[in-house]
Amino acid sequence: MLKQEALKKKRLNKVGDFFMEYLVLMAIVALVIVTAIVEPRFLTANNFRNIMGQFGPLSFTALGMTFIILGGFIDLSLPGMISLIAMITLSLFDVIGEVPAMIFGMALGVFLGAFNGTLLVRVGATTQAKALFITFGMSQIYGAISQLITGGHPISRLFIEHPAPITQNLSSGTIGDIFGFSSFLDSIPITFIVFLFFLAILFIFQKKTVLGRSINYTGGNFLAAELGGIPTKRIMVMIYSICGFMVAIGAIAAFSRTPVAAPEIIGANYERDSIMAVVVGGTSLTGGRGNVLRTVLGVSLIILLSNCMNLMQINSHLQEVFRGAVLVTAIWLDHRRHANA
Amino acid sequence: MDVATLSFGRKTLKILGKQKAIVAVALILIAMLFSSSNIFTRNHLFAFLVVAAPDLVIAFGVTFAVICRACDLSVGSVMCLSGIIAIQLINSGVPVFIAVLIAILSGTVIGFINGFLIVQQKTEAFIITLGMGMLLKGVALFMSNARPVSTQDPAFNSISNSTIIGLPSIVVYMLIIGVLAYCLLRFTSFGRNCYALGGDYEVAEHSGINVVRTKWAAFVITGTCAAIAGVLLSSRINTGSAIYGDLTPLLVNCSVVIGGTSFAGGVGGIAQSGLGIAVMHMLRYCMRMFRIDGVLPGINQHVQTLVFGIVIVAIIAMDCYAIKRKKEDV
Repeated sequence: MLKQEALKKKRLNKVGDFFMEYLVLMAIVALVIVTAIVEPRFLTANNFRNIMGQFGPLSFTALGMTFIILGGFIDLSLPGMISLIAMITLSLFDVIGEVPAMIFGMALGVFLGAFNGTLLVRVGATTQAKALFITFGMSQIYGAISQLITGGHPISRLFIEHPAPITQNLSSGTIGDIFGFSSFLDSIPITFIVFLFFLAILFIFQKKTVLGRSINYTGGNFLAAELGGIPTKRIMVMIYSICGFMVAIGAIAAFSRTPVAAPEIIGANYERDSIMAVVVGGTSLTGGRGNVLRTVLGVSLIILLSNCMNLMQINSHLQEVFRGAVLVTAIWLDHRRHANA
Repeated sequence: MDVATLSFGRKTLKILGKQKAIVAVALILIAMLFSSSNIFTRNHLFAFLVVAAPDLVIAFGVTFAVICRACDLSVGSVMCLSGIIAIQLINSGVPVFIAVLIAILSGTVIGFINGFLIVQQKTEAFIITLGMGMLLKGVALFMSNARPVSTQDPAFNSISNSTIIGLPSIVVYMLIIGVLAYCLLRFTSFGRNCYALGGDYEVAEHSGINVVRTKWAAFVITGTCAAIAGVLLSSRINTGSAIYGDLTPLLVNCSVVIGGTSFAGGVGGIAQSGLGIAVMHMLRYCMRMFRIDGVLPGINQHVQTLVFGIVIVAIIAMDCYAIKRKKEDV
């Protein structure tokens, strides 16, 4: 009798655990159902294309941020980095051509990320709070350099003489534009494919390689990882470099979306939104728990939320309130889940 | 001889390392001696204090949170929101005194909610206040419709723009709040409990301190101070707007740490935080004023940001490095 009760309780717990574990997925399903009922336009092919097109800069930066948060750190230098990388890459278009400029931009991203990581390791900033303020200062520095390079003026793509087909097609183009066949697939935006490509690489890296798993150990318990023989300092530099690379991709996606890139606004709020996407997805801020797929859930929730709210014609300021409320609730629930476990 | 000079150098470095903020202020003032614009006047001092006063008031509140080993990144939005609430209420016919009171109470309520989530539910302070800041920013945008709001009421305008015994009133309010916060932290059991639980939460809990209530109260104080700063600021410029205050939370938290209130919790104080804010604002103010006739007409605005960022990174990095060295020495 007792045994049966215990079993029943266990099963109930399992169901509850499942719901708690995939809370974001449930939220997404609920959101889709509610919006589909209230607003029939939601379930049209056009809107799906629209949603896929939204997997832009934020999804790339959030993927990079996942690794930093997994390692137990934080990076607030995203706005400055995006601004600097975008401005330098754009101004190099006329000098060395499009593809070399983009490669240079990615290398710059890795360099800036590695610089952040090395600086933190060198000064011994091994806690999140210290990393928070140092990277905040770095963001100011990068942003200022970007402003100095451009003189504070925005760069317009229309004045770039060198042909830039990739930039032009990256965010507005679809697969159909490249291969020319017409099927359902031809409406998938190119950024979405790029996103899936990086997602697959980073997922395999995180789950199947020793280095990838070391990140989780480092974030789970820094001291134990170090005593266990994991080169924690090198891991720190590595995660910041990965984030820098993904930020560079994000910067390219960001300036490909807009005809005019202004240094002070192109990167604004990306640090906040990336952290939010990662945390809402369920990657724990204390580090060590989570993966890139969860971040995809988080990004999807944010994109779907804004898509649904736009369709329902909710005031844009009210949308900000809802977004903040979702963030606070998600962190709160996430914390309760881990506190009970 | 060699060893002696080395240890002397190390000692000096150690002392200077502890008083980074004072060194920074001294360096800035020495640099200003070379400037053609003389800032060593009473008017400049008052102008500087008036600009810095809202941030100082916020910093006094944030000090409580930082001493309890937490931080509060929602203060910028609280500041915007309380200014907008005060002005909107006055415009809808509420007496100035009551409107200001309600605006300040709004900060208290937000601090209470922050405290509930962080202390009672034990969530991560920095991310929850970041989210709270985002939420409140939305509320502020929604309330003001993203437009600056202002009022015609002279009584509200005169809160910050009159003089009391020869000082600008906003500075007087700032000083009163500073002294109150200093006494609260220094001479009451609540203040000492804050230091205790910042130093070691578990030990404080086992020694019978009501840790939850103490830390919760610290967040309430932080929220209230931010709201007061919002009222003072919006009264000074007679505008409530949701656009300012984006960088305020990080700058204020940063300044508090620069002043010497450590993130590890348990050390620091109101005076140190005031010094930290003074460094930040002095740097800005002096860079704006700096010019050498015939040689340097002024400092480029972007160079100012660059120097600002370098100073933040340098001071916090020095702080971290000192802790690291201390650990290695032991």
